[in-house]
Amino acid sequence: MENEEKLMTGEESLKVITAMINKSRVSLTQSSFHLLFWGWLIFACSLSEFLLWKLTDFATPWYVWFFVIPGVFISMTYGFVKGRKQHVFTYATGIYVWAWIAFLFSSVVFFIVHSDHMESVGKYMLLMAAMPTLISGIVLKFRPLIWGAVSFWVIALIAHFGGNIIAGLAMPVAMITGYLIPGYLLRTKGSHDTI
Amino acid sequence: MTPFKELDPLLHSQLRLAIMSILISVDRADFTYLRDKTEATAGNLSVQITKLKEGGYIEVSKSFGESYPQTMCQITRLGRTRFEEYVKIIEQYIKPEPPK
Repeated sequence: MENEEKLMTGEESLKVITAMINKSRVSLTQSSFHLLFWGWLIFACSLSEFLLWKLTDFATPWYVWFFVIPGVFISMTYGFVKGRKQHVFTYATGIYVWAWIAFLFSSVVFFIVHSDHMESVGKYMLLMAAMPTLISGIVLKFRPLIWGAVSFWVIALIAHFGGNIIAGLAMPVAMITGYLIPGYLLRTKGSHDTI
Repeated sequence: MTPFKELDPLLHSQLRLAIMSILISVDRADFTYLRDKTEATAGNLSVQITKLKEGGYIEVSKSFGESYPQTMCQITRLGRTRFEEYVKIIEQYIKPEPPK
């Protein structure tokens, strides 16, 4: 686009506007990293908690969840470093990022309020995680993530009515359906998808 | 018949209009992104960005990325208003109101 002072007709102006708006789509290449990182971390924590509860006499198996704290820092650092290299920020990127930050804040408040009943937090966490997962699926136009959010709601219901053992296994199963499967599918799609 | 309004000379230029069209559809974009999408030369793009900035249509901020400076551009409220007015006038040119 060199001849910048060239006089344009109305049609030419509209063509330029349409062409540029269509080009201004960007991939959220970071998404699969966060899904896979959190999917594996929560899967490991929740399964460890379940196994410690079932197979050992350990009094406070929920201590494994302290591994989430360094996880938050790793995830934020990765996002910050990658964000600095990003050439463009869309409104969709903002919605995506803030949906997860809102989830983080809600989780912190929830853990403080619910600190005396840590054994039953799983289903509530799934309910809260379903919202940013659904928003991410819609923003990325990525159906597996939308289904992942739906699976969180279904598994939360099953966990509530299914008894202790089912409730204990609900979180690791939900991580497979909600984060890991969509995360690997998103990674194989690479940066071709745009929002 | 409603007379045609005059087109904003700051927007009625191919490259400046392209820059504004990109910036209206994203939150903010850097120089490299704008250069890639418009396929303009760095020098030409730089001149047009400066004109839009001087007109108050965009804001330009400079920061230091990895090991290189990053020029980030964002449309202003004035720029958004002018762009919307420009599109309305263009639409009027293409589809003039039928005589009453």
